[in-house]
Amino acid sequence: MDRDQMNPIRDQPPNLRSMNPLCYQFMAEDALLGMGMQQQQLPSASIRHMDWSPDTMLGNLTFIEEKIRQVKDVIHAMAGRSSATQGELAAQQQQQLVNADLTCLIVQLISTAGSLLPSLKNSSFLSGAPPAAGTGQAVSLAGESSSSVRNGVSKEGDMGSPDYEELFKGWTNGAMEECIGGGGVIAGEEQDAMLDAFGVDGETPLPPPPESYQVLQLEEDEILAPHTHFCSICGKGFKRDANLRMHMRGHGDEYKSAAALAKPPPSADAGEEQERRYSCPFAGCKRNRLHKSFLPLKTILCVKNHYKRSHCEKRHTCGRCGAKKFSVMADLKTHEKHCGRNRWLCSCGTSFSRKDKLFAHVALFQGHTPALPPPPTSTATQAADDPATTARASAPSSGHQQEPAGAASFMWGTSSCHGDDAFLDVKDIGGGDGDGFFSAANLGSIDFGFGHLDAFAVDHSLAMLLPSEQFTNAQESEER
Amino acid sequence: MSEEVQRYGGGGGGVGALSLDLLGQVLDRVREPRDRKACRLVSRAFARAEAAHRRALRVLRREPLPRLLRTFPALERLDLSACASLDDASLAAALAGADLAGIRRVCLARANGVGWRGLDALVAACPKLEAVDLSHCVGAGDREVAAVAAATGLRELSLEKCLGVTDMGLAKVVVGCPKLEKLSLKWCREISDIGIDLLSKKCPELRSLDISYLKVGNESLRSISSLEKLEELAMVCCSCIDDDGLELLSKGSNSLQSVDVSRSDHVTSQGLASLIDGHNFLQKLNAADCLHEMGQRFLTNLAKLKETLTVLRLDGLEVSASVLQAIGEGCNNLVEISLSKCNGVTDEGISSLVARCSHLRVIDLTCCHLLTDNALDSIAENCKMVECLRLESCSSISEKGLEQIAICCPNLKEIDLTDCRVNDAALQHLAKCSELLILKLGLCSSVSDKGLAFISSNCGKLIELDLYRCTSVTNDALAALANGCKKIKMLNLCYCNKITDSGLGHLGSLEELTNLELRCLVRITGIGISSVAIGCKNLIELDLKRCYSIDDAGLWALARYALNLRQLTISYCQVTGLGLCHLLSSLRCLQDVKMVHLSWVSIEGFEMALRAACGRLKKLKMLSGLKSVLSPELLQLLQAFGCRIRWVNKPLVYKD
Repeated sequence: MDRDQMNPIRDQPPNLRSMNPLCYQFMAEDALLGMGMQQQQLPSASIRHMDWSPDTMLGNLTFIEEKIRQVKDVIHAMAGRSSATQGELAAQQQQQLVNADLTCLIVQLISTAGSLLPSLKNSSFLSGAPPAAGTGQAVSLAGESSSSVRNGVSKEGDMGSPDYEELFKGWTNGAMEECIGGGGVIAGEEQDAMLDAFGVDGETPLPPPPESYQVLQLEEDEILAPHTHFCSICGKGFKRDANLRMHMRGHGDEYKSAAALAKPPPSADAGEEQERRYSCPFAGCKRNRLHKSFLPLKTILCVKNHYKRSHCEKRHTCGRCGAKKFSVMADLKTHEKHCGRNRWLCSCGTSFSRKDKLFAHVALFQGHTPALPPPPTSTATQAADDPATTARASAPSSGHQQEPAGAASFMWGTSSCHGDDAFLDVKDIGGGDGDGFFSAANLGSIDFGFGHLDAFAVDHSLAMLLPSEQFTNAQESEER
Repeated sequence: MSEEVQRYGGGGGGVGALSLDLLGQVLDRVREPRDRKACRLVSRAFARAEAAHRRALRVLRREPLPRLLRTFPALERLDLSACASLDDASLAAALAGADLAGIRRVCLARANGVGWRGLDALVAACPKLEAVDLSHCVGAGDREVAAVAAATGLRELSLEKCLGVTDMGLAKVVVGCPKLEKLSLKWCREISDIGIDLLSKKCPELRSLDISYLKVGNESLRSISSLEKLEELAMVCCSCIDDDGLELLSKGSNSLQSVDVSRSDHVTSQGLASLIDGHNFLQKLNAADCLHEMGQRFLTNLAKLKETLTVLRLDGLEVSASVLQAIGEGCNNLVEISLSKCNGVTDEGISSLVARCSHLRVIDLTCCHLLTDNALDSIAENCKMVECLRLESCSSISEKGLEQIAICCPNLKEIDLTDCRVNDAALQHLAKCSELLILKLGLCSSVSDKGLAFISSNCGKLIELDLYRCTSVTNDALAALANGCKKIKMLNLCYCNKITDSGLGHLGSLEELTNLELRCLVRITGIGISSVAIGCKNLIELDLKRCYSIDDAGLWALARYALNLRQLTISYCQVTGLGLCHLLSSLRCLQDVKMVHLSWVSIEGFEMALRAACGRLKKLKMLSGLKSVLSPELLQLLQAFGCRIRWVNKPLVYKD
């Protein structure tokens, strides 16, 4: 995991840096990287862009043209279909299909355009242009043909693909930061030094960090991005480079070659490079490089986990106890392994996973006693503990008392049955819609299950959706 | 005593002039419950005095409980162990209307029907509670114990065989009752070292602790050694405890007075020796069935306890005459010694032992086959104080040895001659011991009416007589006993098959009789049982197994008259479902019934009878074939009321 996470950073930036060795572009690049801007080119392009040349530029531009044509076609098709009389639902679905297509195309457009970036670096695009301008530029790039494209894009935003906007935001933010750093043409170390020298907030300058490592700082968006690798063809995001390569095989035979599937070799000068350490973007955090006693984070993964744990809302609630909340999913999973097994409870409310720990606690504190589990359900205890009052009459009454437990288990059975039904329903919907697209209702429930789900991934996350759908339905039925 | 009181009480008016205090003082000096009852019945003044002064109460039935609790406001000790069909609701209801502020001790032994709700109510109603006995409440668990733990002033608690109690329950108790002085955890198999450790941290006042049959190890003894006031420690059959544990225990404060390591397999004499090193004031040492050989170091250490040691049990040990001599020289103050099943106990050994131990009162020589009259002679010569002599299976002894004992030991209260082949002449000698309370003559087939006539004529205090398989005994012996030994409470006549109904007729005059075993008396019928039932009002336990001639008439009589009957065995009797139904529905104290092979009783008969009694029964023994044919509701109901059923599967064989 750690190594895989490191890959995009270790391996890719040098490639990009080779395009522009002057500028340490980590933030801007990583914004791109985070948003699928890094491997977006067709492999041919990405291979060619290694050796930077006008040919590559031309190839990229051709690609852009082609993509623009595709967008046009889609819009045309949409116009044609909308003229035909169709059911509203069908039209809606159609629109979503088109939107997804558009999204994919535009991402590819932008990504290819991004490969032209080195030449644009010092242009107005990155040197402090307002975000809106950037967006406009991108949009105009994508849809110079008709205004309906713009509508499509804006709808995209409405549909709730925040990542798309974040893409631009991150982009421009990165650029802005760079400007603060030093006009955007400054190496990372120098930038750090300058920042230190500026002594932001009038503090005394920090002691320069040890020369043994260089300090990098990722932005919040990059840290929180669910995926760091994106398919240049369909836009699907991946957490790991290797997974992306496996995915690429589905797009054609050229991706199945040993060379394409091989792990990109670590850059030659990796050994000579200074070790990297990371800084948390949260101002005032001890892990922030501006902090007096700055403690750097070792890896990207550390950064991610630290940022989520320390500065993010704890969105993952344990389904079993309902009390513990986590911001890192792995923490929740670790907790769930033990949750409910903390059966050693003290009267003070502290729970222990081991009896001897509880007893040591009880021995230590005056008045604390182990807490017994609550008495069994009233009906059961009535039958077991209080037979005289309730069971006095005769056997039939005792048989009756046994019923509630049975009934409860029956209820449980039905609820699980219900879950199964829900599961089947979902499957039916998925199959019935034919093209693997979902109705609005389904999308809604997806949002319920996942919080924010990037639009790129919608059509590929069927496998993930079904369990979540089942989960939410089961929850609802339990609430009922 | 009885007549005296009746004389005073009979006057009525004269007694009434005395103050309640004085009358209470008088009643306090009347020991026998029957005499007190007589006082109560003949004089209102005594009745009032008793109501105001009565300290202890033992309730036999559930129904009068509320009234009794209201009647005796000064109660301090409440015994509900024999109270049939007591459950949470009835207990709570009885407690609600009464003032129980004075109650200090409550015994709920075997009260299986009482759960945590009842105990909650009890503890809430009795703020001064100091002692609670929950022994043999096999259903009791942590929740019940937690309810008891609310009694903060508790000093004594017995949780013997509360099978559900775990460390959690124990922790509740030790935190809730820090003043605990006496605690028995016998058979609470769920309790572990952790619980014992917490106990020793939280209850520094503990004086007596019983951890018998627990699965605790040496770590527990390490914790226990920190209890500075511990005097009594029982760890019977703790197989996880060994010499290292005893070594740890010896590191503690030198407070132990009584240690019981019997049947703890991994304890050797080395461990006991090191234990004695640390605890020099031991008074009682029970190492029965755990030692295999006597270590020299243990012997020398025993001598260090010369002044204090009074009780020594070495059952099952390989001993020689020299060892016994060393013990005799080392422990001069021994009052009780047990050498039962010890190999190598000889006349010389016994004589060298008793030569120095003149204070011995209890001598257990069960299964010391080598002993002869010489040993008895030396005991008689040296131990004039002896009160209890157990000589079971010492088959070489004869009337001559017993004659010496009878002459020299006038205090003899208990003698066990089971399987000693003694004859009437021996009984003639023993009859000189007029203090005799317990006499066991099982398997002495040569004992006849003549010998028992001697006993009856002189041993008027006898309370227990065992004539198991004394086949020469006939009705005449019973007639003599009924005349001479009016105090007999326990009588075993199993397999004395010459006894008939007329013999039982004599037994009817033994009003004190509580336990009567008549197994395999094939000649007795319902008529004999009727006379017993009518005469022996206090009968609690009756064994009629294999009394083939007993029919419904016997059961009807029992149902009508044996109102206090608690345990009954009627296996193999020729009773019908009707009789069984009537019996089980009438006897309100009946808790334990063994009814195997009642071949005349139909399934419906069993069903009806059990339904009629299912709130009261605590133990049942039945054929396993019935398990499947009885209705499941009935079995569930029985279980819900805390009744344990033992299913047996054995062929029906008639034997005489």
